[in-house]
Amino acid sequence: MSLQEIIIQQVVNGLLLGSFYGLVALGYSMVYGIVKLLNFAHADVYMVGGFCSLTFLTLFKDTFLGNGWAGIVAAMLVSMVIVGLLGVIIERIAYKPLREAPRLSLLITALGVSMILYNSVMVVTGGEYRAYKTGLGFQGISIGSVFITHTQLILTVAAVALMFILHLFITRTMYGKAMRAISMDLDCCRLMGVNCNKIIALTFFVGTALAASAGTMAGVYYGSLHFFMGFAIGIKAFTAAVIGGIGIIPGAMLGGLLLGLLESFGTQIPFIGSEWKDVFSFSILIIILIFKPTGLLGKKESERM
Amino acid sequence: MKKRLWIFALVILLISSGIIGCSQPAAPPAGGEEGEASEEPKFDGEILLGIMVPVTGSEATYGKDMENAMKIAADEINAEGGILGKEIKFTLGDDGCDPQMCTAAASKLVSSEVVAVLGGYCSGATIPALKIYGDAKIPFVITAANSTQIIDENPGWAFMINSPGYHQADAASGCFEKLGVEKLAFVHQGDGFSENLAELTRDEWKKRGHEVVAYDVVNKGEQDFSSLVTKIRSSGAEGVYWTAYHADGALLIKQLRQGGYTGEITVADGSSSVQLLEIAGTAGEGVYCTSPPVVDFLPAAKQFSSAYSTKYGSEPGPYAGLAYDGVYLMADAIKRAGKIDPDAIRDALQATDNLETLSGTIAFTPENVLEESNFIIIRGEGGKWVLVD
Repeated sequence: MSLQEIIIQQVVNGLLLGSFYGLVALGYSMVYGIVKLLNFAHADVYMVGGFCSLTFLTLFKDTFLGNGWAGIVAAMLVSMVIVGLLGVIIERIAYKPLREAPRLSLLITALGVSMILYNSVMVVTGGEYRAYKTGLGFQGISIGSVFITHTQLILTVAAVALMFILHLFITRTMYGKAMRAISMDLDCCRLMGVNCNKIIALTFFVGTALAASAGTMAGVYYGSLHFFMGFAIGIKAFTAAVIGGIGIIPGAMLGGLLLGLLESFGTQIPFIGSEWKDVFSFSILIIILIFKPTGLLGKKESERM
Repeated sequence: MKKRLWIFALVILLISSGIIGCSQPAAPPAGGEEGEASEEPKFDGEILLGIMVPVTGSEATYGKDMENAMKIAADEINAEGGILGKEIKFTLGDDGCDPQMCTAAASKLVSSEVVAVLGGYCSGATIPALKIYGDAKIPFVITAANSTQIIDENPGWAFMINSPGYHQADAASGCFEKLGVEKLAFVHQGDGFSENLAELTRDEWKKRGHEVVAYDVVNKGEQDFSSLVTKIRSSGAEGVYWTAYHADGALLIKQLRQGGYTGEITVADGSSSVQLLEIAGTAGEGVYCTSPPVVDFLPAAKQFSSAYSTKYGSEPGPYAGLAYDGVYLMADAIKRAGKIDPDAIRDALQATDNLETLSGTIAFTPENVLEESNFIIIRGEGGKWVLVD
């Protein structure tokens, strides 16, 4: 492989990884934007989403849906709805009663929800890795020695499309407008007659549904699921959200893609090896935060905290 | 009031999840201990052998499995008239895969006046026993544990019949040489075991005059290896050796194939699980593995496997074959010693002359380690591991 080809291949790798990070980061960012909560349970919702779609896929693989793309899309939609509702339930049970409580109580509750989620899945699956069997092969496009499988291509496009739809939803609909308004001032919105509870629930629904879609895509792409798989990506996605400017939707997407690309190139640096790739990408992120403490797209805010 | 209801619901949820969590691992059904009535041969006394394996704790299934395998071997030998006309009897010491329990188990066996001891599954719970048996002059055949630390701490009374790590480095290098690989890439996971094996194999590979083009590590729990795959491809590697465990190994194999890598892939014993092939799917076809001599893959062990499953109703586990071999090794040594005398038995063990067993030929180096590696090469075919010769 020539240097050019290596660079192109790593960009492709980085974009796919980055779009996963971006999808998960969106959930963190949306929830933070609206209720100022770092929702630690989000990473576990991603994992539950993966298992949910795997269950659907296994149940229906012998019907007309099959385990090709038709089945996968159906499984993903079902899992998005179910897990979206799970997100709403979590908000209703664990977060809503604490809305007026100090932020720290809410944070600890989120940790608790996270533990309940992954421990429940651990009990159900017996802590084993589960194979995510699909009917997809390894065919792909090769340009020179750059190689992209169809799966990679479709997943990246799907992830970007989901982000774009979300962007339209936030900027073009009344609900999106209400979300943005609540993120600026919840009490004021309530006085203006916005049904805040409903909008917050909707935010949780959308955020967790996106995580479920990412969980499904991860299952399809990597081919296995595990109850603790949310942990690593959770940290990365949270970082991505902070880098882009937490609470800012396009920031989460940008942050995700940037982190994905940095990791890809971090592996390729000569002499130091891939064990240092996280050190490399996080060093760059720290440097970014030194110069832009509110994140790449973050605005200066003086009154918060 | 409403709030209380929620709290109540949560408490119920927590308690019930706790109950589910606790009620999980049921103890494996105990195998028929000494079911059959002893047959016709009359014995002139008995030879008491100690078994030291974990039969409680996290590794209990493996320990029980080894104990079962040893009992089968003893039954066979007794049916043939025993050793020197004496019947083999066992007494069990449970090491619980825990160094402290191991010390207690070893002392118990010593005070039961056993002739020799077989077993040792966890290296950590085998090392403390070495000195105890050494002081008591009891020959100890270690049938599974294979840390190189055992070699260093061995006072001379212990014999390892499982190959230590450096034998695997040999096996892996041999496997790649056979496949015609010249440029090799290594991937480990940064933990003691996989890193150590990767280092040993890398040094062996260089010593044999070949080229190492990549030496990389992946972080535990990470799922995306695509950038690493690109790096491996760009390094021109013709073979990849994965030294860590099956779950992440399957991911790597899948992504190597997805990323357009067409060279050879070999995985180490930590990945010899069938689950690797299941998760990797079609990508697992043609993947090689350096594996300990597990009876599933040994044609010579067919009879043992069926005897095991008829007696215990389950398949023999990964170290059953070696445990079975251990008993035969001991019987052979005692026969050659001709008397029940610790020094004579030890000398006879040391002088074992290429004894043919299920898992290979046994002969010892002066350090009481196997002379020849007993690692076997298996290959993924149709979702199953198949022995390659």
